[in-house]
Amino acid sequence: MGNKRLRNYLICGLILLGVAVFPLLFNNFVIRFGTDILMFAIMASAWNIIGGYTGYASFGNVVFFGIGAYTTAVLMEKAGLNFAFAFIAAGMGSALFAIIIGLPVLRLHGHYFAIATLGVAEAMKALVQNLEITEGNSGIYLPMLDLSVKAQYCFFFYVMLGTLIVTLVATYFLLNAKFGYSLIAIREDEDSANSIGINTTAAKTIAFALSGLFTGLAGSVYAYQQAFIKPGSVFTVESTLKMIVMAIFGGIGRLFGPLLGAVSIEVVSEILSNYFLVAHTLFFGALVILSIVFMPKGIADMLTQKKFGLIYFLQNIRKNRI
Amino acid sequence: MAILEGKNITKKFAGLIAVNEVDFELEPGEILGLIGPNGAGKTTLVNVIAGTYPPTDGAVFFKGERISGLKPYRIGRLGIGRTFQIVKPFPGMTVKENASVGAMFGARGNRLSAKEAIEKAEEILEFVDLGNQMDVLADKLSVASRKRLEIAKAIAMRPEVVLFDEVMAGLNFTEIDHAIELIKKIRDNGMTILIIEHVMRAIKRVCDRIFVLHHGQKIADGPTEEVLNDKKVIKAYLGRRYKELVG
Repeated sequence: MGNKRLRNYLICGLILLGVAVFPLLFNNFVIRFGTDILMFAIMASAWNIIGGYTGYASFGNVVFFGIGAYTTAVLMEKAGLNFAFAFIAAGMGSALFAIIIGLPVLRLHGHYFAIATLGVAEAMKALVQNLEITEGNSGIYLPMLDLSVKAQYCFFFYVMLGTLIVTLVATYFLLNAKFGYSLIAIREDEDSANSIGINTTAAKTIAFALSGLFTGLAGSVYAYQQAFIKPGSVFTVESTLKMIVMAIFGGIGRLFGPLLGAVSIEVVSEILSNYFLVAHTLFFGALVILSIVFMPKGIADMLTQKKFGLIYFLQNIRKNRI
Repeated sequence: MAILEGKNITKKFAGLIAVNEVDFELEPGEILGLIGPNGAGKTTLVNVIAGTYPPTDGAVFFKGERISGLKPYRIGRLGIGRTFQIVKPFPGMTVKENASVGAMFGARGNRLSAKEAIEKAEEILEFVDLGNQMDVLADKLSVASRKRLEIAKAIAMRPEVVLFDEVMAGLNFTEIDHAIELIKKIRDNGMTILIIEHVMRAIKRVCDRIFVLHHGQKIADGPTEEVLNDKKVIKAYLGRRYKELVG
């Protein structure tokens, strides 16, 4: 047991070291590509807390990303604050919004919850498009980072990496504590969880707030990196879909699932768009469908079970009655 | 003093009166049976006690404190465990994890850490005879084992009172005999039990006292033998031929 644990820590350490030296080895384009992957890994991991562990499939998580981005923009541009402060405020603001919106919306289940969260995100987009402080549809500029181009790319890469590590470590500790059991119990049967002594309202709301916190942090870094954001681009439903697809593709309800999903989906779609300029979305869609049919538990399950053969895929179809 | 007491409990769903002015008392250490025909309001009464619904009128008292109106999780933490008629295990968790969750979040005052809870769960699963199925996923269990798991989850909370809602429905005779022994053992461990049951064989053997609901109203309350011979009870629930059948 102790040995296995040590081995796991060693593997994590080596991967981390590899990722940390990554920007030193590649050009700006590749660093930017890596930063995007890290950003989606944060968002998918954050979605996993509410959608994967707690079982509330949020279709509006992009709202936290947008709030994080706009909080950063407004605080830096209008209030003249520095990035460190804006970054933390963005996370806190998104978490607070998750609590306020979660208390009524988390009373809904299943499809109703999905639709309500989708509605919240769309409503927030409309609000931001019409507010004066966010400069409406024309978008808002942020102060530029005063560094060389290479240093800028590296800065954003490392901030994103740090945020991802915080997200994963926090998730790891929370889920191994009683709190994690309460979330999974809620996913498996909420009435039963309630009668067994779990304050389901509190647990769900905290899970949603954590999901909002980390998504908001990702949004904050994204805004500073872009130096210009528009409501249409930071509140887009596509981001939510990407989080969900990545989380499911990688392994829903698994710590490293969303990370694996983010890496593989981004790399695969990059390769496809290199080879098939026009039809790559078609191939990509087909790939997603096939993977959901043949490995609905994601890459993480396949790796931990160490089963790669045809039998595993066929078993999955039977097991999950697809 | 009664450990659990209901005073004048009424529960209406729109126009339907599911439970009508029911009083009951549960003395510490006893096994009280709750019987009645389908639709009499038995499960509704349990749901009112456990906090799933607030009563329309009347109140429930646990050790002299009013508990009606509290959320189910608060009532669970105070020390009232329950099972569900349609069993509600956590299907994707193993048997051991299911019982651990009960031990982790149950009765306040002696709540356990995650690690202690898992040890406690193992002990309780041995107690209910699920020791050899600890690592099986809950939705892979047989009906009898699911009922046992439902019991294990409730008693893992270390409650003072447990509400068993038809834990023997769907079991065969051997399994019922096992369940009867188990319920007696649970009482011997210091828990007070309210049990809803249709299985006469079980009621006669485990209950110290029973009370009968019919159309939401209490029609009889007393020692088991006496109530089962009551004319009103025979007419409303047991049927005329009950005497001949049971002999």
